[in-house]
Amino acid sequence: MTRILYQYWLRVQETWWIFVNELRRVFRDRGVMIIVVLGTLAYPFLYKSMYWNEQISDIPVAVVDLSNSPESRAFLHRWNATPDVRLTYSCTSMAEAERLLRDQKVHGIIYFPRDYAAQLADPLGKAHISLYCDMSSFLYMKGIYLSCNQVMLDAMRNIQIDRYENMGLDKEFAWSLVQDAPYSETALFTPTGGYGSFLIPAVLVMILHQTLFFSICLLMGTIREEKTEIYRIPGRRRGYSAFRVILARGGAYFLIYYALAAILLGLLPRLFGLPHIGAIGDILRFNVPFILAVIFMSLCVGFFIRNRESGLVMLVPTTSLIFLFIAGISWPKEMIPVGWRYVSYLIPYTWASNGFIHINSMGASLWTTRTEYIALWGLTAGYFALAVTMFLIAGYRQDRKESLLAQSESVHPEGSSGSVEPQA
Amino acid sequence: MNNLINIWHVLLRELRRIVSRPLYLGATIGAMLVAVFFFMTLMARGAAEKMPVAIVDLDQTTISRRVCHEMQATSSVDIILITNSYPEAREAMQQGHIYGIFVIPDGFYRDLVAFKRPQLDFYVTNAYTVGGNTSYKQMLTMANLASGAFQREVLRKKGMTDDVIMNRIQPVAIEGHMLTNPWGNYTIYLVSTVLPGILGVIALMMTVFAIGFELKTKTSTQWLKTAGGNYTIAMIGKLIPYTVIYLTLGIVCHILFYNIADFPVLGSHARLLFGQLLYIMAMEIMGIVLIGCLPTLRDALSVGALYAMLGFSLSGFTYPNMAMLPMVKALSNLEPLRHYYLIYVNEALMGAPAINSMPHALALAAFIVPALCVAPRLHRALKYQNYPLK
Repeated sequence: MTRILYQYWLRVQETWWIFVNELRRVFRDRGVMIIVVLGTLAYPFLYKSMYWNEQISDIPVAVVDLSNSPESRAFLHRWNATPDVRLTYSCTSMAEAERLLRDQKVHGIIYFPRDYAAQLADPLGKAHISLYCDMSSFLYMKGIYLSCNQVMLDAMRNIQIDRYENMGLDKEFAWSLVQDAPYSETALFTPTGGYGSFLIPAVLVMILHQTLFFSICLLMGTIREEKTEIYRIPGRRRGYSAFRVILARGGAYFLIYYALAAILLGLLPRLFGLPHIGAIGDILRFNVPFILAVIFMSLCVGFFIRNRESGLVMLVPTTSLIFLFIAGISWPKEMIPVGWRYVSYLIPYTWASNGFIHINSMGASLWTTRTEYIALWGLTAGYFALAVTMFLIAGYRQDRKESLLAQSESVHPEGSSGSVEPQA
Repeated sequence: MNNLINIWHVLLRELRRIVSRPLYLGATIGAMLVAVFFFMTLMARGAAEKMPVAIVDLDQTTISRRVCHEMQATSSVDIILITNSYPEAREAMQQGHIYGIFVIPDGFYRDLVAFKRPQLDFYVTNAYTVGGNTSYKQMLTMANLASGAFQREVLRKKGMTDDVIMNRIQPVAIEGHMLTNPWGNYTIYLVSTVLPGILGVIALMMTVFAIGFELKTKTSTQWLKTAGGNYTIAMIGKLIPYTVIYLTLGIVCHILFYNIADFPVLGSHARLLFGQLLYIMAMEIMGIVLIGCLPTLRDALSVGALYAMLGFSLSGFTYPNMAMLPMVKALSNLEPLRHYYLIYVNEALMGAPAINSMPHALALAAFIVPALCVAPRLHRALKYQNYPLK
């Protein structure tokens, strides 16, 4: 009995040893520390400062007003008063305005045709306003188009009422006819509609996801390169310790990253004044499968990395952007082809970013976000099982190689040089 | 002449290195092909269509059902949920199933015919920008049309023809013109900057790796010897094969975008391609600067990754540069992608004269300056290998 207990105690000790050793390895590795420290601490502040203003305001617009009427001037006056645009140039011809746009002095042109006032005055007429938008950034178009539309809808109601009155309708009746079904619009969750409020939560999840992913790939590459024991506990001659190796190493990463995730996803939205209407307890609970899923996925990917740096060179340029777009954050998930959506289900970022946005920015409870939460646990289990299997196989192969080597050494004591793997 | 021969020798040596490990071609051609394939197939349809929304129909009359019908008939939204409970719709939104909620109040029809002006409400989420905006625009139009529909009925009873009625209901119209991208196509907008951007990141990381690996494996003295001890020749010979690879990839992308997918180019193809070449070379030079400042491979790669990925946001193609803080705006000049993006806007979207792109081309060329500054340090590192390996 004591013997069995002692055996277990030994196993616990071994696991503890790997855990501590892995922590030591992380903190000693300068490349990993650069990614973890600079990435998780400097990046959020950089992004916050980039999107500090949240809204794009005072977009310069050129005016070509051929009608030159009180009506068009009143329209322009009201439009200029909106925060979105600033009418910076008044041009006499389209050619002049186009030149300004071409030189990027303005990002939009508004054009009133000569008959604008006449059409408005005509009880049956229809007046036209032309709007030209710079498409170099979609936010220019959004700002210019939406604010102009608002001003137009307002102006239109007044014109309608005037016209009905001229028809001989009673003013009250004209009012109720024009505004027969008024509407109110509400932007839920992020009332300012700011770009930072939308993107930074997704970026925070991305920072955690990618720095953890790259760090583990770096560490796995290093271990492979240094040819230290990776699949097994050193000194053990059998491959069956993969389970504990992965548990102990995963635990070390989890310890560090769970704390970082609590800071980035729990504290920073509050510090940065981003939307944070979710319950902090839900966020902390949601973080558990998120971090675990990324760790085990990274262990699986890192398994194939032979050299310390090759992981970074291969994965940095493409993965972050692909993960961001496939998750349906910048581009709606409904518009992503089915094949890519299935691929996206295998990436923890897809579930983590959407789940975090639902909880943090939209105030969903963990129960409402159960799909994402359960999916992350599913990925955790799947990648864990995959990692254990791969480590077991690799450990078993190494065992066999070593025992074969031992045999051949006992036959030809001097012929062991052939066992060194060729390295480029 | 001697120099040319030396460059040739370094080049041959580099080619041998490139084929010696799958990493070199995998991380350049392989990664780029994956990125191109991904981004060109991700958005089969360029504009956001059929965004899911919910209708909370508390009225349940023929007119409220007609509103649902008319909304479903539009191309930009798709009603996936019709319910009479607002909390249910709100939860669907919190689960990410819908981007907007359109509420038709109880007694809408009754109040409408009694001229009691019932109010329509609609809610959109801003937590997802594209989905939220698309459904917002459609619901705004619907709210206006719903009120127009009733006006139309009243006016028709007064004996007016439809044409006349339409002009009365909508006496002013805005004609929006989205210049050079009249379809509001998101693919054109995104891919034109993102894919060249990725190519640049690949160039930077690969340059750091190609030089740093020589330091790490202590082959840098042999490399310098092949170049006749000349640092400049060593660098040129080493980078030529990669630059040819990137340029080829860049040309393939260019043909794919502008000849096959027919993205618009108002200006000069040649200048756009030249801008791309300058951008790639600026990124390679930044790679030299990084490995020169931090001659340990892993440090340079880690810092390089952080630096390069910032370029996408700082270039200002999603969130315009003009709205950034002055300090950040100044910082964005340190990212070559910012200058490439401006050249792209000038050449492809604006058809501006060459003089407009000149400052940005010069800015890209100016990246050579820091590379000259680190040259002595990197030369020493290559010669004496006096930096830690790990």
